[in-house]
Amino acid sequence: MKKTAHPFLRDLKDNRVKWLMIMPAAIVVILMCYIPMGGIVLAFKEFNYHDGIFGSPWVGLKNFSYFFQSGKAWSTTRNTILYNIAFLCVNTTLQITCAILLSELAGKYFKRITQSVMFLPYFISWVVVGAFIYNMFNYEFGAVNSFLRTVGMEPLDVYSNKAAWPVILIVVSAFKNVGYGTVMYLASIVSIDGEMFEAADLDGATMWQKIRYITLPCIRPTVVILFLMAIGTIMKGDFQMFWQVTGNNPMVLEVTDVIDTYVTRSLLDLQEFGMTSAAGLYQSGLSFILVLIANRAVKKVEPEYALF
Amino acid sequence: MKRRTKIGALLMAAVLGMGVLSGCGNTPASTETPQAPEASGTESTETGGAEAGAPDISEEVTLTMYLIGDRPVDNDEVFAKINEKLKAEINATIDVKFMSWGEYESKYPLIFASGEEWDIIYTADWCFYNAQATKQGFWEITQEALETYAPMTAETIYSEAWEQAKVNGQVYMLPMNYKEITSYVYMARGDLMDKYEITSVASLDEAEAYMDAIVANEPTLIPLDVGSDYDKLFVFDRMWEKANWESEEKVAGIGTWQAIGSVSELDDTAAVKGNYDQAEFQGVIERLKDWKDRGFWSKNAVVNTQNNTESFQAGKSALALCNANTAKSIYAQMSTEHPEWDVRVFDAQDGVPPILNSYLANGMSIFSKSKNPERALMALDYLRNDTEVNSLFCYGIEGKHWEASGDNALVSLPDSANYAYDSNCNWGVRNDANWRVVEGGIPGLEELNEVWKENARSRRYQTFVFDDSSVKNEVAAITEIFNTDYKLLGLGFTDDPAGDIAKLKEKMTTAGADTVYAEMQKQAQEFLAAQGE
Repeated sequence: MKKTAHPFLRDLKDNRVKWLMIMPAAIVVILMCYIPMGGIVLAFKEFNYHDGIFGSPWVGLKNFSYFFQSGKAWSTTRNTILYNIAFLCVNTTLQITCAILLSELAGKYFKRITQSVMFLPYFISWVVVGAFIYNMFNYEFGAVNSFLRTVGMEPLDVYSNKAAWPVILIVVSAFKNVGYGTVMYLASIVSIDGEMFEAADLDGATMWQKIRYITLPCIRPTVVILFLMAIGTIMKGDFQMFWQVTGNNPMVLEVTDVIDTYVTRSLLDLQEFGMTSAAGLYQSGLSFILVLIANRAVKKVEPEYALF
Repeated sequence: MKRRTKIGALLMAAVLGMGVLSGCGNTPASTETPQAPEASGTESTETGGAEAGAPDISEEVTLTMYLIGDRPVDNDEVFAKINEKLKAEINATIDVKFMSWGEYESKYPLIFASGEEWDIIYTADWCFYNAQATKQGFWEITQEALETYAPMTAETIYSEAWEQAKVNGQVYMLPMNYKEITSYVYMARGDLMDKYEITSVASLDEAEAYMDAIVANEPTLIPLDVGSDYDKLFVFDRMWEKANWESEEKVAGIGTWQAIGSVSELDDTAAVKGNYDQAEFQGVIERLKDWKDRGFWSKNAVVNTQNNTESFQAGKSALALCNANTAKSIYAQMSTEHPEWDVRVFDAQDGVPPILNSYLANGMSIFSKSKNPERALMALDYLRNDTEVNSLFCYGIEGKHWEASGDNALVSLPDSANYAYDSNCNWGVRNDANWRVVEGGIPGLEELNEVWKENARSRRYQTFVFDDSSVKNEVAAITEIFNTDYKLLGLGFTDDPAGDIAKLKEKMTTAGADTVYAEMQKQAQEFLAAQGE
């Protein structure tokens, strides 16, 4: 009598192509995410080079109290979440608008060129964007101020003006990311069944009505999925952007410091690996909770789209 | 639709996984188990074999040495000569790696954690010595190891230097064998001084007058381009030290400078206060604000990435403030490249006695995970004490970069542009026994040097080392304040000095400054008691 194989092994055999397809992604995740996760223990240790990560002495929750004692826990968490919400709303709105505009455009070449030009900033390094910003806004020789001086107006002191930075950051984030998202929405608009538009035309629908009643409802799944994906990273500041664009400027840190930049700065200033890991773990923990909440919310409204 | 959702969910799971876990990206990747060659005296004498005091050097090794700065053009040529001698004497050669001044603050701690293999590194009390020693980043140099592997050093090292190098009773560094004073100078443009009829820039007031003339007449120049991480507090320091020196209580800094603590040198109870609580602090900040408002430095100074001497060399600013050694190393080059600037150097001490440095201001250490710590110590012994090797490292090749002039001086040759005198981060091996001064350097500097030497003093708490292990969290929070709010005040970026000082004080109190200062006072009293014995 032949013994029945273990259900897992049987599944492995039956679906071998699917398993093979998921393997590269799984390997990357295990290698880059699960294995380094061992480093989390560092948050509970007083690290020294000699004993290494696993040999260093345990200190309990002492490393966490630093983050809260510094008075930065609240302000960096607030900044991280608010900036990400702002980016999410502004970028998604702009992306959908641009995608619809592009899809309505008639000229094929004009459409292609516009799309490429919009996509281009996505490939510009944040370091370069930071240099743009500096050369535009620096007080003595910046482009904006030179212009203001020549037309006889007072120059602006952007680098010490807290109110300016949220705007600048939202604008540069849009500058870099709108093109990328537009392509995703455009793809989903293109895949809408053309017969629906033809039918609407026959019924005499205007362009606005077509957008309102056909395009938007049809791309809703894409919007929801992209939105959900963004929720997972809402606790994660775009480190490169915040670090490079603001030049780590202490004048405006109150409104530009996110958890990622704070962790990096403390690591460089203090060389306390334990304390900074603790701040990182706090971030990951909050992130995890947010994902659970978001998923629960989606489940209530649209059970079909929930992650788990 | 259902199908798409499933794929989407799968994709999302992967992306979210990465997002959630990315927090661990900050931890160093090295997971190797510690395999420390903990050298003890007994072990080292055993390896000596039958012949005690003659270490085993049968195996050839290459030692990696980290220095701070940029690789001089002729570095490899100089080290080829050094290696020739080291190979013959101790069967080892040195491979030098550099980390530039712009990145050393972030790179230095990372090479300890990275798992990279290296052996020797430059260190100093201002350059992570204490921080890395307490984290066991350095190999302990025991008295026995010193006598076995570095006999020349054991004989010549100043006993005070050896004592100063102790951290919790253990030595991790070979400090320089050289008495050094740190004094600051202004470098000004002679052509501009003549143009605006300014005769001297040798005090804060004279510097103020000079910079005023620049602001009024030279719109393309920033008078003094401070503000990089390296010199954010340079102007503050000059004003603060002068105010302190002239104060009745003789206020002086204590502990790590990031802790912002100071104490009256006359007070035997060593009551530590925050700088912001000292009477003179507000006056200094008000003057800095005034200078900033008048445009003496850029309104974007806080995001500067170039330090003030670099700007001065590049012709972007009219004044530089730096220590005398920096001035020495760039003066010759500037005079040849831009003779029309007629660079002049003035005393910036403004009546404040220069500091007689502790020996820990420069030194060399061995990595705790070095594969060949004993050989590294032997190599350091030669770098420090062997006249030929020491001179090669400090001044370059004789006959190419320099020429002897008597026993204690040298003349720099034109090729020294490719290996400048005393500037290849060789400061950790400086040795009074082999030291030569440059003839024909900056005019007037020798006279200034004499004055400085006469006045130089050690501060009362200069060798006091604050052990912050019991107040780590508080110190971390204070360091953050130091790097942001305090440095901003130090550059005069405030609209309301009194109000912002009060705010700083409030933040410091919340961060636990009182606990830190109480602990510091306790340790300072122990320090004074130990000195009194």
